[in-house]
Amino acid sequence: MYGFYNLSEFSVILDNLTLIVEKRDEFYIYRRVIESDVSEVKERIILGKDGKVILNPVEPVNLPKEITNYLQIKFRRSIVSEPGSSFSVFLTFPLEIGVFLAGKKSMEVIDIFGLTKPKYTLYGNPRNGIICRYWESDVFSKIPETNPLEEGVMELRIVNESGEWQEVSMVVFDIYGMKIFYDKELVGSRTTMTIHSEKVAETDFLVYPLKKKMSKSVELYTARKLPVIGKGFVMEWGI
Amino acid sequence: MIDIIVDVLNRNIYGDVTVSDFLVAMAVMAGATVIARIITTNLRRTLVDKMKRDQLELILKVIYFVIIIIAFLAVLPLLGLNLSGLLVAGGIAGIVIGFASQSVVSNLISGIFLLSEKPIKIGDQINVDGIAGFVEDINILSTIVRTYDGLYVRLPNEKVFSSNITNYVAHVARRFEYVVGIRYSDDAERAIEIIKGLIEKHPFALKNPEPQVFVDNFGDSSVNIVVRIWAPSAVWYDVKMEILWKIKKELEANGIQIPFPQRTLWFANELNVRK
Repeated sequence: MYGFYNLSEFSVILDNLTLIVEKRDEFYIYRRVIESDVSEVKERIILGKDGKVILNPVEPVNLPKEITNYLQIKFRRSIVSEPGSSFSVFLTFPLEIGVFLAGKKSMEVIDIFGLTKPKYTLYGNPRNGIICRYWESDVFSKIPETNPLEEGVMELRIVNESGEWQEVSMVVFDIYGMKIFYDKELVGSRTTMTIHSEKVAETDFLVYPLKKKMSKSVELYTARKLPVIGKGFVMEWGI
Repeated sequence: MIDIIVDVLNRNIYGDVTVSDFLVAMAVMAGATVIARIITTNLRRTLVDKMKRDQLELILKVIYFVIIIIAFLAVLPLLGLNLSGLLVAGGIAGIVIGFASQSVVSNLISGIFLLSEKPIKIGDQINVDGIAGFVEDINILSTIVRTYDGLYVRLPNEKVFSSNITNYVAHVARRFEYVVGIRYSDDAERAIEIIKGLIEKHPFALKNPEPQVFVDNFGDSSVNIVVRIWAPSAVWYDVKMEILWKIKKELEANGIQIPFPQRTLWFANELNVRK
């Protein structure tokens, strides 16, 4: 489903999701319908003759409205990490899907939607903490099977530099600089977590895909032209 | 004609200051004001997406006034004002002006402390001395608040500084509370389960700190369940408005009712009804 489409030919119809661009009179209408208990419909008028529609997963912190740029993934079973060890696990993360209009030189987001229900949480204390998008994930030793419209797979490389056994029950990312890659079956991202002590760890995103020949998503923060400097995040209120 | 204009321009207004000096000084000040406005307007356009609004406003104000002050100092000699002379005169004038402008100076100092201590920022929702609303601007002498009714309120900085300030959004998350009364005949555990389920479904009812739902007390007409929810400060009022009505609807859909105030009367003798 993800990829590039010509504006006039854009049409994605799945079980409960319809995305389509229709020509009405002199302009195009973008229409999105998600059918569930309460059906959700969104329409946008597009004034333009040609162009491309790009559909790809974006950083999952925009729904139902953007209030944070942090993502917390809570492990359903915590991990105990040996001192000096370095190993990789796989987690799932929530997906939000961005619909972009691409012209000759610029790009504009016309819709963001998701098929999972968002939930938020506080990491740290109410005074100095941060609001995060909340997600619970099992911990896998290999890439799990997921629905690429709902969940992505994240490879998390945990490096324990603390010199002591450490229990890890969650990971928090600053979503700016997240790199998401996709193919027909999988949406993925690669990350690292370096543990410095019982309460402090540093997380970051890597720029390489999980598998070969995966396409890179258009990052939302690039499309919005925000001056984003890729940077890691220091978890200082516990791991 | 030219002779007349030259004559007028060379005419002394006071001391050695001529009309032309005065006009040049005014032109320089006007030019500096225009330049300051152009620079701040362009900086605002460039930086509006890249900085927090309160920091941007502060920087723009500093730049604006620095340009104006430099221009003012530059034109002082044209107006026959010697800075060293001003220092002497300023001592005496300072005492006079000091007495005359106590409240202005007090507001100024308070403004500086407010800007440095930062108990409030532009855009925050605050309550100062009973006036609640959004902080629109923090000036050197006053703070501008837009109340929730959309009214413009100017608060002198001295008042803001010396009053109790409640900043509703200073922290990233805040808690709010409902009291939900149910009938004595209803199952309180079931009601708690339903309410917890609704909270879980709302995206901005925070997962952590965990919401609390418990039977708090036995009221005159109802069993009172307290519901405490944490939400991001930026959206807490929206969350508060949305969840309460959903709780009512969902409880009623499950046969649990919120009772009216009621009193059960016991009569010593059996009542006889007459027609």
